[in-house]
Amino acid sequence: MIAVWYAVVSFMLIIYVVLDGRNFGAGMLHWVVAKTPNERRQVIAAIGPLWTWHEVWLLGFGGTLIAIFPRLMASAFAGYYLALFLILWCLILRGVSIEVGGHINDRLWQGYWDFNFVLSNLLLAILFGAAAGNVARGVPVDAQGNFSMAFFTDFNVRGHVGLLDWYTVSIAILAVVMLAAHGATYLTLKTEGPVHDRSEKWATYLWIAVVPLLLVVLIESRIVRPDLPGRAWANPFWWLGLFIIIASTITLISGLTSRRELRAFIGSNFVIFGLLATGAAAIFPVMLHSTLAPENSLTAYAVAAGPMSLRLASFWWPVGFALAVFYFVFISRRYAGKVSVQRDTQGFY
Amino acid sequence: MNSIFNDPGFWHRLQFGFTIVYHYLFPQLTMGLAWFLVYWKWRALRTGDEKYNQAVRFWAKIFGLNFAVGVVTGIPMEFQFGTNWADFSKYAGGVIGQTLAMEGMFAFFLESAFVGALIWGEKRLGPRGHFAAALAVALGSWLSGYFILVTNSFMQHPVGYQIEANGSLGIASMSAYLLNPWAFVQFAHNQLAAVVTGSFVVAAIGAFYALRDLHPVQARLYLRAGTFVGLIASLLVAFPTGDQQAKMVGNHQPITLAAMEGKFEGGAMAPVALIGQPNVAKQQLENPIEVPGALSFLAYGHFGSFVHGLNDFPKDQWPDNLELLYYSFHLMITLGTLFIVLMGFATLQNWRGKLESSRLLLWVLMLAFPYPYIANTLGWMTAELGRQPWLIYGLFHTRDGYSRVVSNGDAIFTLIGFTGLYFVLGLLFLALTGREIAKGPGNETTAIVDQREAVSI
Repeated sequence: MIAVWYAVVSFMLIIYVVLDGRNFGAGMLHWVVAKTPNERRQVIAAIGPLWTWHEVWLLGFGGTLIAIFPRLMASAFAGYYLALFLILWCLILRGVSIEVGGHINDRLWQGYWDFNFVLSNLLLAILFGAAAGNVARGVPVDAQGNFSMAFFTDFNVRGHVGLLDWYTVSIAILAVVMLAAHGATYLTLKTEGPVHDRSEKWATYLWIAVVPLLLVVLIESRIVRPDLPGRAWANPFWWLGLFIIIASTITLISGLTSRRELRAFIGSNFVIFGLLATGAAAIFPVMLHSTLAPENSLTAYAVAAGPMSLRLASFWWPVGFALAVFYFVFISRRYAGKVSVQRDTQGFY
Repeated sequence: MNSIFNDPGFWHRLQFGFTIVYHYLFPQLTMGLAWFLVYWKWRALRTGDEKYNQAVRFWAKIFGLNFAVGVVTGIPMEFQFGTNWADFSKYAGGVIGQTLAMEGMFAFFLESAFVGALIWGEKRLGPRGHFAAALAVALGSWLSGYFILVTNSFMQHPVGYQIEANGSLGIASMSAYLLNPWAFVQFAHNQLAAVVTGSFVVAAIGAFYALRDLHPVQARLYLRAGTFVGLIASLLVAFPTGDQQAKMVGNHQPITLAAMEGKFEGGAMAPVALIGQPNVAKQQLENPIEVPGALSFLAYGHFGSFVHGLNDFPKDQWPDNLELLYYSFHLMITLGTLFIVLMGFATLQNWRGKLESSRLLLWVLMLAFPYPYIANTLGWMTAELGRQPWLIYGLFHTRDGYSRVVSNGDAIFTLIGFTGLYFVLGLLFLALTGREIAKGPGNETTAIVDQREAVSI
C-alpha cells in the first residue's frame, strides 16, 4: 500500500516536471531561439494557454503529499524553507511575465518581461535540479526527523550539508541542459519559421550535451551514495524505468534524426520521465536520507498517514486521475498543431 | 527581552494571514463572475443576441487576469502548510491533506484545463463548446471553494477524524468529513458573498460606462444584471446563510460568539449591540446602542435564551484579539446591510426605468465595488480570529502549529518578500485590468489588428 502511494506521489511530481519542464526549457532558450518581437510572441504563444494547466500539477502533487506523507511534507518543506520560497517567487514571476508581457505592444515593456521570463525559468530549472540533487544526496535530518539547511556550507556532501554543493550543483547543471533540450524539442514541434529552425538545432546540440553530463552525475552519485545501486537493482520499478529510458532514447534519436517532431517530443518526455522514475525507485523506501546518521532517514513507512486515510484516498485518487487523463486528451486535441502569431486568431492575446 | 521578534508564531500567522487575504481577493471575483459568464453564454445560445457574446468576451478577459493572479498567489498557500505550519501538517495532514489533494485533482485540473478554452477558444469550440467551457470553469472554481471550505470547517468544527497510533489525526469517515454541517453553511455564505463581489464589480463597470456614455447596450446589461443579482445575493448572504452561520458559531463556539458581540457577562434576553467599543481591560462594552433580546433570538431562536458571556469561560480560551474580532464582525454586518440597501434601491430605480438617468446612483454604484472585497475579508477575519486560540477547534492550539525549525528572521524575510512582490503584482493587475476596461467590450477586432501591428514591428 505505502509502496504504491510512494509510486503515485513520485509519479505526480514527475508528471509536473515533464509538463512544466518544457516551459522552463522554452523559457531559458527564449532569447536564443527567438530574435524579433514577433518570434518571441511565438514562443510565449506556444506556452501561453497551458502554463496554468501545467503548474496545477505541482499543486496536485503538493496536496497529495500532505495527504499521504504528512510528516515528510512538513519536515522537507520547513527544512527547505528559503529555497522553497525562492521557487514560489520564481513561479510567480514566471506566470506574471507570461501574462503581462503580451498585454501592451511596446518593445521596452515586452523586452523587460522577456528578461523576467528567461531569468525565472532559468532559476526554476536550477532550483528544481538542486532540489533533486538534495533528495538524492540527503539532508541533515536529526533524530526528531527535522532539518534546517543553509544555502551552502562547505560544498561537501557529508554531515551538515547545504542546499548547494559540488554534487547538487552538477545536478542543477544537468537539469538546466536537459530541460533546455526538452524545451527546444517542444518548440520544434510547436513553432514554424526561424524559431523552429533554431530550436531544432539547439535540441540536437543540447541532447548531445546531456550525455556526458549524465555520465558525470551517475559517477558522482555512485560516490555520494554508494548504498544506492544495490538497492536499485533489487527494485523491479528501477528496471522498468531503465527500460523506459532506453526505449524513449531510441524514440528521441530516431525522431530527431528523421525530423519527426512529435516522435522526438514524445521521446524527450519519456527520457525525463524514465530518468526521474529510476531515481525515485533507487531511493525507495527512504524519502529523505539523513547525511548525519542513516537511522535518522525518513522512510515512506515512517512518514505515511494512517492506514484508514490511505485507504480512503485510494478511492478518490483514481477517479481524479482518470478525469485528468480526460482533460489531457481534450487539451492535446484542442491545442494540437503549430502556433503562429500571424495567422492564428486563437493565438495568445 | 520580550518582543514580537521573539515570537515566531506571530510572524507565521501574519504571513499566512497576509498571503491568504491577498490571494482571496482574486478567487472571490472569479467565483462570482463565473456564473455571470455561464448565464450570458446561455442567453447568447438561446437568443442569438450578439450583445451577450460580447459581454462574455469582455468579462472573460477580466476573468483571465484574475485567474492568473489567483493561481500564482494560490500556490504559496498550499506550500505554506509545510513551510510555515509544519507541526500542524504533521498533526493533521492525514485529514486536511485529503481535501487539499482533492482540490488539486478535481477542481484545479478542471478549471485550468478549460480556462484557456473559455478565454481564447470561442471560435474553435463553437457556441456550445464555449458554453461548456464556461460551465466547466464555473464548476471547477466552486468545487475548489468547497474543498477549501471543508478544510477550514474541519479547523472550525472537527468531525470524521480519529487519533492514530502516533498521536496524529487521520480520517475515520470520509462522508462525515466532506459533509461537515459547518462546511455546508460556510459554503453557502461564502459563495454568495463571492457573488456579491462579482455583481458589484459588474455593476460598477456598467455604471462607469453609463457615466462615460460608452457602450450603452453593454452598460445597461451590466447594470441590470449586477444590481439584480447583487440584491438577491446580498439578501441571501444575510439571511438565511449569515444567520445560520452565526447559529453554528453559537452552538459550537459559544466563546467566539460572545467575543464577536463583545459580551463579557452572560445572561438571558441578551442584546445585540449595534454600536459600541469593547474595553477588554475593564471587561465591558462601552457606549453601546443595544437591541434587547436580539442576540438570544438570533443565536438560539428565543428571546429568553441564555447566551454565554466571555466571563463564563477561562481566559486562556478567549480569542486572542477580541477588539479586532469584534470590529471585523460588526463592520462586516454594517457593510452587508448597506449592500442590501444600495442594491435594493438600484433595483427599484431600474424597475422604474430611472437607473441609467440617475447620475448620483451611478456614481455610488461605480465607487461601491471595493466594499464587498472588504466585507469578504472582514468575514474571514471574523472566522479565523474567532477560532483562536485554536488551530483546530478544541484539539490543537495555534501556538503548537508553526514550524519550529524555521527561524524568526526567515519568516520575517519571506513576509517582507511577499509584501514587495504582491505590491508590484497588485499594481500590474490594476494597470492591466484598467486597460481592459478602458478598451471596453466589443473591441475584439481591434485586438486582432493590434496583433498584426505587433507582427510588423
